[in-house]
Order: sequence, then C-alpha cells, then structure tokens
Amino acid sequence: MKKTRLSLVIGALLLVIFLAVLFAFQVRSTEVAVVTTFGKYSASYTEPGLKFRLPWPIQNIYRFDNRLQNFERKFEQTTTRDAKNILVSLFVGWRISDPKIFLERFNGDSLKAEQQLEGLVRNAKNAVIGRYNFSDFISPDPKQVKFEQFEAEALKEIQGAAKDTYGLQVEVVGIKQLGLPEAITGKVFERMRSERERLVKQFTGEGEAKAIEIRSDADRRRDELLAKAEADALRIIGEAEAQASKDYAVFEQKPELAVFLLQIKALKESLKDRATVILDQRTTPFNLLTGDKPAAGTTK
Amino acid sequence: MSDQPKKSGQLKLTATPVTGSDDASSQALNEALGSSFLLVRILAVLLIGAFVASCVFTVTPNEVAVVLRFGKPQGTGAEMLKRQGLHWAFPYPIDEIVRLRVGETKTVRAAQAWYAVSAEEEATGTLPMGNPTISPAVEGHTLTSDGNILHVRATMKYRIADPVTYAFRFSSSTNLLVNALNNAVYHASARHTAEAALYKDVSAFNDAVRRRMEQWIVKENLGITLDTLEVERSAPLYVKSAFDAVIAAEQDRSKKISEAQGYADETIRKAAGEAAAIRSGGMVASNLLVQAVSAEAKFFSDQLVSYNRAPELFRQRLLTAATAEVLTNATDKFFLPERGDAKSREIRIQLNREPLTPKAPGGQPTR
Repeated sequence: MKKTRLSLVIGALLLVIFLAVLFAFQVRSTEVAVVTTFGKYSASYTEPGLKFRLPWPIQNIYRFDNRLQNFERKFEQTTTRDAKNILVSLFVGWRISDPKIFLERFNGDSLKAEQQLEGLVRNAKNAVIGRYNFSDFISPDPKQVKFEQFEAEALKEIQGAAKDTYGLQVEVVGIKQLGLPEAITGKVFERMRSERERLVKQFTGEGEAKAIEIRSDADRRRDELLAKAEADALRIIGEAEAQASKDYAVFEQKPELAVFLLQIKALKESLKDRATVILDQRTTPFNLLTGDKPAAGTTK
Repeated sequence: MSDQPKKSGQLKLTATPVTGSDDASSQALNEALGSSFLLVRILAVLLIGAFVASCVFTVTPNEVAVVLRFGKPQGTGAEMLKRQGLHWAFPYPIDEIVRLRVGETKTVRAAQAWYAVSAEEEATGTLPMGNPTISPAVEGHTLTSDGNILHVRATMKYRIADPVTYAFRFSSSTNLLVNALNNAVYHASARHTAEAALYKDVSAFNDAVRRRMEQWIVKENLGITLDTLEVERSAPLYVKSAFDAVIAAEQDRSKKISEAQGYADETIRKAAGEAAAIRSGGMVASNLLVQAVSAEAKFFSDQLVSYNRAPELFRQRLLTAATAEVLTNATDKFFLPERGDAKSREIRIQLNREPLTPKAPGGQPTR
C-alpha cells in the first residue's frame, strides 16, 4: 500500500511536470514573448513570469530580447544648412515596444530590424543636420554648440516612425563621431600649419618685446629710486645746512676772527698730506734765520 | 514465503512448480534484479541529494546574485540582490540564479577619434607616420571649436553600482558605454580650441569629457559609478612638428620674459640698496656737517676772548702753529733764500707722473 502511494506521488509529479512543459512557459525579465495559435497572433507578454499556453503545435511561443539594443550608424557624409560637408555617425539605443509588429515585420530577427532602422536613422540624420549650421556643432562659445538639441531632434524624428512602423522604441540617440571629409582634412592641415607658424613668430616677437619692456621699466624704476634717494640726501643735507647756519651766526660777533680761523683750517687741510712747500726767507718762522724780527703780516 | 523478495522495488515472483534447473535460473534472475534495484535506489538517493543541494547556492564577495522565479526577479530594490554567503532557491527551471560580478573595476576605451596605430607601435610608444589627409575609414579625429583637427582617446574605469540595471536593461552595456564615451570626447572637443585641449587648459577639457560622461550615466541610468577617466590627446601627426614649434616658441618667450624679470628684480633690488646708501650718506654728511659747524662755533666762541685781548698775538700764534704743522706734514720742503743782487730767482719744476704702487689684493692700483 505504501509502495503504491509512493508510486502515485511520483507519477503525479511526473504528470505535473509534463503538463507544465506542455501548458506553461516562462518569460524572463529581459524578454518579451509572442504567442501564436495555429500560426496566427494570439497574445503578447511584456511582463516577466509564468504564462500559460496551449501545447505545440496548437500554439507557438516566440521570445525576443527586450533589453536596450545598441546600434551604430556608419560614418557618412552629410550637409549642413550652410552647405558644409561633414561626416557624422550616430549611435542608437532601441528596444522592442510591440512584439507583434516586431514578429510580423522582421520575423523576430534583430538584424533585419536594424537594417530597417538604418534607413530611418540616415533619413533623420540628414534631415536634422540640414536644419543646423556647421557652427552649431563646433564653437568657441559653449552655449552655441547644439549637440544636445540636435540629438533630441534626431531622437524625436526617429522615434515616431520606428514605433508606428516597426514596433521599436528608440530611447537613445547620440553623436558617435563627427568629422570632416578626407579631402577637407588636408586643407585644414595646411591652415593649421600656417597658423602655428604665425604663432611661432608672434610668440618670438612677444617674448622679445615683453623682455625689453620689463628691462626698460626696471631701468626707469632704478633711475627713479636713485633720483629720489639723491633728492632725499640733498634735502637732508640742506636741512643740516640750515641747522649749521644757525650755529654760524656766532661768527658774526667777530667776522675777521672767523675768517682767520677758517683760513687756518683750510690751510691745514689742504697741505695735510704729500705737499711740496717752497719757502723764501721771509716766511715765518724762517725769517728768523735771516735775523729778522718777527713781525705781523710777514707770513706768505 | 521465505524465497520471496522482501525489499521494495524487487520483482515479486509467484510460487510455481519448477524443475531443478528452473529453480537455479530463477534464483540467479532474482539476485540480478535485486542488485539492479539496489543500484536504482542508490541513484534515487543521489538524485534526491543532488536536488536538495541544487537548492542551495553561495555568492562570493565580489559578486551579487539575483533569483529569477519563473523569469521574474524576486524582491524589490536592495532585497533583490543576494550578497555574499549561503542562499536558498528552488532548482531550475522554477528559480534561476543570475550572478553579477560587481567588485571588480571594469575598463572601456573610446578610441574613435584616435589615429591609426599598430599594436606594436602602441606597445613601444612609437608614433606612426602622419598622413597629409585623414581617411575616415582608417583613423578618426575630432573637431575643435576653432575648426582644427585633433586626435583624442579616453579610457574610463568604472564599477557596477546597480547590477540589475547594468545586466537586465542593456543587451550590451559595454558598447553603450563606449559610444557614450566617444560622444563625450566629441562633445568636449567641440567646445575647446586645439591649444586649450592640447596644453593650455587640459584640466578643463578633461573635466568636460567627464561631465558629459556623468550626464550620460545619470540620464540613461547606466547603473555604473565612474572611477577614473583618462583623456589622451594629440595633434595630428602630420602637423605635430608645427605644434611642437609653437610650444618651443612659447617656452622661449617665457624664458626671455623670465630672464628680463630676473634682470628687473636684480636691478631694482640693487637700486634700492644704492638708494638706501645714498640716503644714509646724506644722513652721515648731515650729521658731520652739523657736528663740525657746532664744534667750529664752539671753538670760535672759546677763542674769541683770547683774540679780543691781543688780536695780533693770537693771529701769529695760530699762524705759526699752523705753519709748523703744515711743514711737518709736507713731503718736500724747499727753502729759497733771496739773491744778493735782489733779482728774482728762477725755479724750474719738472713734474713726472708718479710711479704706480703694486696692486692691492682684489682692488685697483693705489698711488
């Protein structure tokens, strides 16, 4: 009896598994699924979980990756509003928004979807870039650069057609590459080289001019400093002279004595060192040698 | 009944009359079946053990795990993530364990705007030859705000901050990150001049790339944390020598200015010193003058009394003293007596250049 019960349990378990395989399927969180009945669309599942179905061949299940797919457009030439040729490549992030349309249009093949998307992206890119000037893509003033605006417009342009026609939700559009056609790059190189040569001359001239300016300014400041110092010294000495002139007032009591004393001093100072003196017999005190009496005014 | 199999799973044999040879073969069959059922039982036990073991899984420190039950993540927010340790889940296909490596730092490189370089040149740091034009099929470039061409390459290191978003939202997060990083490079280039991007404002250029990348991370909820972003830039190889010449000229300009600045500093410092010396000299001369005059005035006052008493004597006394001092100090003294015939004497003086004395050490010749 016990063995029979165990067998029943095992049998029931096997039956449940068998029925589950036949009548249920999973949709993972990264997937969407489409169910067809006798080849005809029946239902779409975009939420993950356990779903019920009728067994094959009555119903078929198609599962598609519902994560954001990355698609990159070729680096192609296009023309701006001001007739400048540029090369632009866009990258696009898309996911399946309507599994039914995706199945019907592309038979669930992502490569086919991207081939269709490529045409959409190309058209949108050319149309939107045609509304922008070249200066909207590169500018010394960051506010003039309209990268984000361009990307938003391109996204909007692609989104409508992709969703309605192909069941795709385009969520991201960005510039992947931006450049110039090969023929133009050569001309840009020539311009870059000539600009650099001009800069070399400019920097060389600037260096010399600035150095001369700094040196002459330094010389001027040196002269100013010295002139001011000389003036200060002169003023100080002038003040001293003024002070001295007060002391000189005492000489006015006896000017002849003052003059005499000053002369004596000058005489001593001028003949203080390495002097050659030629005297005659009348010079005091050598007049004593000739027997003359010392007298006033005989000194020469 | 003793010859009947007792254990479950064994085939039950009915008791029928058999011959001796039949009995032996039945016994052999019984033994064979008994062995088989034993094997089946062991297998069943092992399968049950494997089933139980499959319900348990471990998560290592550098990863997190998400349990999908019938394809749907279990839990919400942080509860969704099973971190390091032992965990339990139903076996597949009821539950599915998705492991995500979050601890390690990942790297992506955006080289869409870089020049063509071989792996060998890259490894040795050798620059390839520059071409007079850039072929878009071979190498990339960016456009700067002043219409110049540059090569820029960015390498980003990042960690996964939101594993569920990173793994479940994007079919290839890496590709999207590379594209976003390329976009950031072109975005920054379009706003900076070639000189700024190359050497004048490198940090601002790097910041612009980083800011744009961070905008992408937030805007598209990429589920990562940006660690480091290294931006390399190069002038086009064909005109690189012209850029190098500009750098050399700028350095030369700086050198000239720096030398002139040095001259200016030295000149002004020296002049300031000279000015101080001149002022100091003025002060010294001033003090000397005042003191000298004061002394002379005092000397005059002191001598005035004597002078008033006998002026001529005073004069002679001082004159004689002065003559003595002068003649004592004089190097050469000549005494010329008057001629007896009262005629004037003729004196001839030959003035020779005085011989130079030997040079003083480190100084000018002294006389």
